Amino acid sequence: MLKLIREVLRVGEATISYPSKPVEVMPGFRGKPHHDPERCIACAACAIACPPNALTITTDLDQGVRTWSLFVGRCIYCGRCEEVCPTGAITLSQDFELAVADKQDLYDHADYKLAACRICGTYFAPVKEIEYVDALLQQSGLSDDYAANVRALLEICPACKRKNDVRKMVGLYQEKD
Amino acid sequence: MVIGNETKPKIGQSYVEAVRARFGNSILDETWQAPDQVTLTVSLNCLPDVVEMLYYEQGGWLASVAVNDERPLNGQFAIYYILSVEGNGDEAPPAEKAYVVVHAQIPPHQPEFPAVTPKVPAAIWYEREARDMFGLQPIGLPDQRRLVLPDDWPDNLYPLRKDAMDYRFRPEPTTENETYDFIQVEGEGIVQVPLGPLHITSDEPGHFRLYVDGEHIVDADYRLFYVHRGMEKLAESRMSYDQVTFLADRICGICGYAHNVAYSTSVERALGIEVPERAQFIRTILLEVERLHSHLLNLGLACHFVGFDTGFMQFFRVREKAMKMAELLTGSRKTYGVNLIGGVRRDILKEQRLTTLKLLGELRQEVTTLVNMLLETPHIVQRTQNIGLLEAQVARDYSPVGPTLRGSGFARDIRVIHPYCAYDRVPWTVIAKEGCDVLSRTLIRAEEFFESVSMVERCLDAMPDGPVLTEGFTYKPFQFALGYVEAPRGEDIHWSMLGDNQKIYRWKCRASSYNNWPSLRYMLRGNTISDAPLIVASIDPCYSCTERVTVIDVRKKKATIVPYKEMERYCIERKDSPLK
Repeated sequence: MLKLIREVLRVGEATISYPSKPVEVMPGFRGKPHHDPERCIACAACAIACPPNALTITTDLDQGVRTWSLFVGRCIYCGRCEEVCPTGAITLSQDFELAVADKQDLYDHADYKLAACRICGTYFAPVKEIEYVDALLQQSGLSDDYAANVRALLEICPACKRKNDVRKMVGLYQEKD
Repeated sequence: MVIGNETKPKIGQSYVEAVRARFGNSILDETWQAPDQVTLTVSLNCLPDVVEMLYYEQGGWLASVAVNDERPLNGQFAIYYILSVEGNGDEAPPAEKAYVVVHAQIPPHQPEFPAVTPKVPAAIWYEREARDMFGLQPIGLPDQRRLVLPDDWPDNLYPLRKDAMDYRFRPEPTTENETYDFIQVEGEGIVQVPLGPLHITSDEPGHFRLYVDGEHIVDADYRLFYVHRGMEKLAESRMSYDQVTFLADRICGICGYAHNVAYSTSVERALGIEVPERAQFIRTILLEVERLHSHLLNLGLACHFVGFDTGFMQFFRVREKAMKMAELLTGSRKTYGVNLIGGVRRDILKEQRLTTLKLLGELRQEVTTLVNMLLETPHIVQRTQNIGLLEAQVARDYSPVGPTLRGSGFARDIRVIHPYCAYDRVPWTVIAKEGCDVLSRTLIRAEEFFESVSMVERCLDAMPDGPVLTEGFTYKPFQFALGYVEAPRGEDIHWSMLGDNQKIYRWKCRASSYNNWPSLRYMLRGNTISDAPLIVASIDPCYSCTERVTVIDVRKKKATIVPYKEMERYCIERKDSPLK
């Protein structure tokens, strides 16, 4: 009994007066995901990786808008989004104080413009994603002619690309004949 | 069909030969998933005999039973009895230890199979579950009640059949009342004590009924699965196979990482992925860090139930260091989320290593003081010795796992029997006790705590350099294998079969408490009701907070509902019985 009392006295107070004093988390703690809309290219890699579907992407082809959204209420703080993001637009912060008075405060979203196809005019990919691919091409060390050819294709939607390819192939066969 | 590893020597060949010698023509196929994992396909009618022979003659323990709807693949249902066969302990040299899976096919036009339970009681829950989830009738199973499905679930809707239902669908309830048929104990002066539906000391609700004569428990019955979350169905329907690791983390709030490793290793084994050495060590370290906090939690609760609440507070104060350690190494106090198929996502860096070693030193010192204090408390031995006896024969029949089994004299630990991760590369000792009582189980946890501390230190010291993740493997459809981990409460077994669409075709995960619950009835018999919460806590079940307890007096034929707080108070103070 004496030992116990001595131990209790030795330890003193083990708690801190949270929330008036802050709680320190360890470095590398995985808290609320932070989204940088400037860096994001709306490629949807995070939405595919997200195990609980907290991150979702919706595409409005009529308006030409792609919406990235995060519902923190579903988030499991696994950090897969951070791992798969090609531009480092998502990072897990150290923020763990997530209580809100209004559920709407748990939602975060960002809209991105889609590019229209140069041929048929349908919206097909986010402008920023195309710019990102363009930048990659510029840095890839391809010859200028070749890069210019590939870049011309960037403005065309997959359906039109297929049609073009078929036309080209048919043309080749006709030349042969 | 033999998959991979042909060059490595097969462990378990002698058991296959023994089965072939007795059952010859009934053995239809033999496939090896790993050097120590074999699946024997047997004809349905000799299934119980093969399982019985492996269990009692060859020293087998029932690890799990997986049922699979393979109609889209081959037109049949399949049932897999997973046995860890370990010999009877008297062989020289020691018998080889292997997982032998007995597999039989069940035709869909006659969805029934001969029950194994009359020969091997350990199969009882699994066979009730097979009937609930797949509509496969175990012929000869004495217990005809549901296990998993609620009372208001429609008949003839078997959720895990592939064509049964969408995972988001919840059928309309068919009844308003609880229709579960608790066992009837007749006799002079027996009282029923229902504990629950929200039960004893836990996170999950369960309905306990204690049959008492005065203060003495004559028998016990319980109904669980009030919070079945349908995780297996969810994983098969919605998630891709590499996302399921994160779901596995959430099976248990205490030993989630053990499930995570069990799932990951099952898939890695099925796909033949070699996990880098360093990742194996990191997994071992994190599994033991998880054991540290889990055992401290249980030791804290042991203090609480014998009325030593200061000790409870002190154990929880010290436990915080183990939680901080997990936060430092994984980025989260619980749900570590560091496993991917092929390895881990986070390395352990020098600074983390040094901080962990410092925390381990503090833990060892503080817990030593606390455990000594706990054992010097006059009540503790008196309250726990010879209480909640789990006789060795009952343990042998029901295949309980972890400290529950090791407290009854069996030095059985999956980390030694089927070494995984890096457990065969660092020295450590298995702790077992002969007492069969609550005291033995508590002492085992205390001693295992110190083993874990040393093991983490040794792993941090011995871990090799190198990569922590294997990437670029090929996903192969319809391969299956077992994954197993000795979680703080006993072995977790996962049986996974991959699909052909980046998903899991079937994921059978079995948590350690599943194997421990059926033997609890025998531990409760013969004790007084004031010891009931103590006994239930001693198996450290994944348990829920009991709000109330029903007590049925057999003599007065009277049911009394006792609030759980009152039961707990009675357990701690042992005066003013709530039954009077």
